[in-house]
Amino acid sequence: MDDVQEMRSPGTLHGASPSYTLGKRRTDHNLLIPEAELKGLGAELHYTQRGGDITFHGPHQAILYPIISLRSIGIGARNYVETLERSMIEFASVYGVKARAGHKGETGVWVGDRKIGAIGVRISSGITSHGLAFNIDPDLKYFEHIVPCGIADKEVTSLRRETDDMLLPSEEVIHEQLVSCLAKAFSYDDVVWKEDPSFILDNQEEYKD
Amino acid sequence: MAARFLWASRVASHLRISVAQRGFASVVLKDLKYAESHEWVKIDGNKATFGITDHAQDHLGDVVYVELPDLGRSVSQGESFGAVESVKATSDINSPVSGKVVEVNEVLGETPGLVNTSPYEEGWIIKVELSDAGEVEKLMDSDKYSKFCEEEDAKH
Repeated sequence: MDDVQEMRSPGTLHGASPSYTLGKRRTDHNLLIPEAELKGLGAELHYTQRGGDITFHGPHQAILYPIISLRSIGIGARNYVETLERSMIEFASVYGVKARAGHKGETGVWVGDRKIGAIGVRISSGITSHGLAFNIDPDLKYFEHIVPCGIADKEVTSLRRETDDMLLPSEEVIHEQLVSCLAKAFSYDDVVWKEDPSFILDNQEEYKD
Repeated sequence: MAARFLWASRVASHLRISVAQRGFASVVLKDLKYAESHEWVKIDGNKATFGITDHAQDHLGDVVYVELPDLGRSVSQGESFGAVESVKATSDINSPVSGKVVEVNEVLGETPGLVNTSPYEEGWIIKVELSDAGEVEKLMDSDKYSKFCEEEDAKH
């Protein structure tokens, strides 16, 4: 199995149903409301095998899961995550938003002290799963119920927030742009678009108590 | 970076391998065996200790969490038995040999960073009782592993 390159996108257009997800470390102390209350918000809680802390996924986010054989391109986890960060930073700059990679221990993409993009990855036998979530215009109130990514006292933001009155193109276009930035960062020449509406949470491992 | 180089030089000179002056060559120890998924094994009779290599920890970034298997669990060569987390990425660790887990490095619960600072010594991950000593033949020795790392790194 060489050169597996695929991008899966469970979110945005078809509207991921609002969900909070935890990583392998199961840091549920960073969920600030009882699970029962989540249902009242119309959200679900999922446990995954990815790295990273708690986060929220919902409509108007670009959620991208690159499936890449890191061994075939000779990079490791750190390099991969840095490339994901760079892709989001470059993408933000298209809209004049100056984003940066996180400081040590704060993986993700930030605008000032506000987090605009999150990363949580799993690498198994050198193949990546899970990936990134970039806030286009999600309802930021959902983030108030967690300590996002385990980092307290830092705001969450979105492309909408950071571009004020700018007229943004459709989410479809935004999504394509982000994918192109990713392809470029990984030096892939070609992007082949496939519709895979059956894929939502199927390929995430679910491990609940 | 200077501190790493000093450490690398000290280990390297102890084992008589060279460390490049420029850039960083990962440390590979002569008396260990290596798997393609970057785990090292130290065989002692029918017991094996393993962990991840210097090359692996460097490519991972700072380890913040190590998922250890339960004692008594069996592991199989080439299959995942645990994971390490760094920079929001959870990476599976594969077992270089088959056997039964007899000891795990509990210290990694408090100080997972040992995997980065001392991958071959204090950062060991588990010890197993070998079930098939012959499997060791399938692993790489230090020279082969060094070359393997060079080839992998040259890919990008």
